[in-house]
Amino acid sequence: MKKKTKQNISMLLFTLPALIVYAVFKLIPAISGIYYSMTDWNGLGKGFDMVGLDNFKEILSDKYYWQSILFTLKYVIVMIIVANLIALLLAATIESRQRAKGLFRTIFFMPNMISMIIGGYMWMFIFTKVLYYMADNWGMTFFDKSWIGDPKYAFIAIIIVASWGSVGYLMIFYMAAFQGVPMNLKEAASLDGANSWQTFRHVVLPLIQNAVTICIFWTLNAGFQVFDVVYALTGGGPGRATQTAAINIYEEAFRGNVRYGYATAKSTVLFVIVMLFTAIQLRLMKRKEQEL
Amino acid sequence: MKKIFGLMLTACMVLSMTACGSQSASTTAPAETKAQATAGTTAATTATAEPREAELNIMMSFPQYMDQWETYCKQFEDKMLAEENIKVKVNLEMPSSDQYESVLQARLSSGDAPDLYTLHSNNIATYYKAGNLTDLSGEALAGKIYDNVKATVTQDGKLLAVPIESQAWGVLYNKDIFKECGLAVPETLDELKNVCAVLTEKGYTPFMLAYQEQWVPQLMTALTLGGKVSGEIPDWVDRMYKDEGSYAEVKDIFGPIDLIMQNGTDRAMETGSEAGSADFANGKAAMYVQGTWASGTIMTTNPEMNLGVFALPINNNKADTLVNLSTSTTLAVYPESKEMDLALKFANYVLDDKDSSALFEACSFNPLASCHTFTPSSWVADASAYVAAGRSYQDLVLPQAVTDEQGKLLQEYYVKSITQDEFISQMDAVFKEANKQA
Repeated sequence: MKKKTKQNISMLLFTLPALIVYAVFKLIPAISGIYYSMTDWNGLGKGFDMVGLDNFKEILSDKYYWQSILFTLKYVIVMIIVANLIALLLAATIESRQRAKGLFRTIFFMPNMISMIIGGYMWMFIFTKVLYYMADNWGMTFFDKSWIGDPKYAFIAIIIVASWGSVGYLMIFYMAAFQGVPMNLKEAASLDGANSWQTFRHVVLPLIQNAVTICIFWTLNAGFQVFDVVYALTGGGPGRATQTAAINIYEEAFRGNVRYGYATAKSTVLFVIVMLFTAIQLRLMKRKEQEL
Repeated sequence: MKKIFGLMLTACMVLSMTACGSQSASTTAPAETKAQATAGTTAATTATAEPREAELNIMMSFPQYMDQWETYCKQFEDKMLAEENIKVKVNLEMPSSDQYESVLQARLSSGDAPDLYTLHSNNIATYYKAGNLTDLSGEALAGKIYDNVKATVTQDGKLLAVPIESQAWGVLYNKDIFKECGLAVPETLDELKNVCAVLTEKGYTPFMLAYQEQWVPQLMTALTLGGKVSGEIPDWVDRMYKDEGSYAEVKDIFGPIDLIMQNGTDRAMETGSEAGSADFANGKAAMYVQGTWASGTIMTTNPEMNLGVFALPINNNKADTLVNLSTSTTLAVYPESKEMDLALKFANYVLDDKDSSALFEACSFNPLASCHTFTPSSWVADASAYVAAGRSYQDLVLPQAVTDEQGKLLQEYYVKSITQDEFISQMDAVFKEANKQA
């Protein structure tokens, strides 16, 4: 009994620094956010009134907000598929190499170390300058698309940049999972006459299911909150065609009528949506995981 | 062993956290010792007192004039040291104009307000109500500002900000291309159409389009609305604020807007304002709907450029062809500034009898106070000629949400995802919503 308390205290001490940071920068703002979502605070004035659930009622008929949620949903779905497939492919390719594993791992992980806002501006330069230069001077006319102005191509551009930034991170998870697959199982499979695809599909994939769960969870979560890539590339434009939920909230809070209270209500709704989606995803995928 | 290691780790963490906390304490320490030191020396010799150390935080919204203002702040630091024996450290921040407002609002609401900050004169009323502005009527600078400019920064008889950018602007054009094609400045929409036709025929692109940032297309509504409303329906803005007007009354604005969009450069959505200015300077197009504030970028890109300004025609009524005369950027003093005295000194220094002229000339701002004695650049003179002939209007004061929405919708209008009628109904709705929130 005594030993247990001691252990608990020492564990608490270890986590305390992280816990304090988490509480101060995440927990307290999140809780006070729910309070502010029921006010009409404009972020500038020193006073505000409680308006109860009026903000939430207004959200129900806010066309642009639901449009941005739909766009975000589309982004999340495409990102889950594209980013995870590429990451899985990269991990498998690199893992199967005999030499220079470290080099490739570093190269593909590199974009993850650059802030996405900077990465976004870098890609903006590529889309608005480099590609047009190639189209005009080297005859690569298929690059001559309206990469920012046409919502269709803007979406492709956003997916390219977002995948570029996140694939390296996901790849690390998958590589670690690959390394955890016991060699003898793969050997047994090949002795039984399975080709490499069959081995992957029926032996490796079930065993890395937990990595898949984590990676999809991460993409889902990060995707719903996407801001920097889109902000740097298109700013949500043309008009509101590529506006994500986070950008819609940002504009409500800092632009136009500067409605902090209403914007906070919108983020509360977004929080509930994200929570629902991740809870469902975790439930569904946990069931599939295999234990060795 | 493990235990010791663990203990050491926790100790490290705790230490690193407290280190951050104690920083503020350690920074104040030298000031105290300095004060003690000065106290000691003043007893002996009062003449060579240690200079007092102070910091002044200034936030401004025009990164394009960073160099000029940094130099000016340096001059201020030297002046203070020489005249007042204060060692001032001016911290000048210049967030990009796109994000400036958000940054400023965040700083004001978090109690981390800069001592001096720029704001658009349209926002003076809001900031005044929120108690974020200091009355400057009693300062020396008040006597220097020209009366018509002073009116734009005064509320309830109080001078609330120092005007910095007061400018007349319209459409920028390349005088050399116009001369080569034998074109005169257009006065009506038909003449503008003719200008476009001639330019196209001679192989020039008439208009530079740079719509990536929403504030640039928005300039078209600023000019067209201003001209139309001031020329024909002066009560439009008032009625809009009372929910009694509609954008349908100013449908004329689409005349020039359509013309500009049809006769513009490609890839408008992929071109930012700075890139647009540079391309325009290099002769990629003959005209550019952009304020004279872009002249800095244009003239550095091409110092040989022969830059001119004309008023954008809205229709064939010459009375609507006006340049915009507005005070945009002003400098305000935060009332709860810790260095109030210094902040006021800086505000006065902006209109200093000796140094202000050079600063305003370097930034190619318009002269707006009696201390400004320089000859303005050619494009400023062009625009001033319209003002002198009485062909200018005071910038319309519209709610920020309306201005933002105009930029957004013009982008959509350009990529053809909305029609004129949708533009009109959406703008009416946004104006009503802004009235409701105000």
